[in-house]
Amino acid sequence: MSSLRTTLAGYVGYRGREGHWGFLLHRITGLGVVLFLAIHIVDTALVYFNPALYMEAIRIYQSTLFGIAEVFLVFCIIYHGINGLRVAFFDLIAPSAWAIYRQRVSVRWTLILTLILWIPASIRMLSNLIEHNF
Amino acid sequence: MEAKLKQRPSALEATAAPGAFERHAWTWMRISGVLLIPLVWIHTLLQDVIVGVHAIDVNYVAARWANLGWRIFDVFLLGFAFAHGMNGVRQVAFEYIHSPRARRITAGVIFALWLVISAIGAIALIGGVNQEFPLQQQ
Ligand code: HEM
Repeated sequence: MSSLRTTLAGYVGYRGREGHWGFLLHRITGLGVVLFLAIHIVDTALVYFNPALYMEAIRIYQSTLFGIAEVFLVFCIIYHGINGLRVAFFDLIAPSAWAIYRQRVSVRWTLILTLILWIPASIRMLSNLIEHNF
Repeated sequence: MEAKLKQRPSALEATAAPGAFERHAWTWMRISGVLLIPLVWIHTLLQDVIVGVHAIDVNYVAARWANLGWRIFDVFLLGFAFAHGMNGVRQVAFEYIHSPRARRITAGVIFALWLVISAIGAIALIGGVNQEFPLQQQ
């Protein structure tokens, strides 16, 4: 437990700027998406195990609260994917480019690209939500 | 020095160079990640953004799974995304958990969760929607 406390304190206190924030966001989004995925596999499997209960689960997903959570889930999927590609590119193809300046620039571009993809997707999901729930 | 290392095998293990398994796991995260871009993004774009959760019900799933291509797509999605994600959870956990015993237990729990949930998903993918088709509107 003390090692966990040290790590969490390090996450907040470490001043690694873009590279550090990029790493933290990758970790949080990855863990968030896999938590949702575990639930989502089980709820989808209800179409086989209990179709009536599947409809109950879908009705929960259609609620306003989950509709808003869905918009953030899509952010996580877009950011984690682009940043994962960024990490894989530097690790597998251009390891010599693991330099601080390159990281700062590429993390900024990752965030910009994420927003470019996320904003139109959010507008569509939110207008869909407003149309059905209000 | 010698005594200290004997007392804390965990510290030794945690700083030792990674073995073959960890190196493969590291590469796996990157290769599966690249594959997940088409798999996860097409799935999300289609179901969350284009179709939308309000248009989804058992009929929708049945119609989609009537197409073998989509079922195969979902098999790959299930296999790659959940294995990538659960291995990610294991890697994160191992950064905080250093004693070999605690690591074995943690890895065992994560592996069991992965196996059970993957099996639940696979059974549904093979079994399909458990109702007559076309279905009654619920
Ligand atoms: C969309 C394409 C994806 C790409 C390109 C990708 C890429 C990566 C890469 C390269 C890593 C290793 C990071 C490192 O070792 O520093 C990683 C970690 C991880 N990924 Fe993904 N991933 C993707 C999708 C997903 C999905 C769908 C999930 C959830 C099911 C997920 C969950 C995780 C988790 C939990 C980690 C561990 C986080 C950490 O080490 O801090 N990823 N991902």
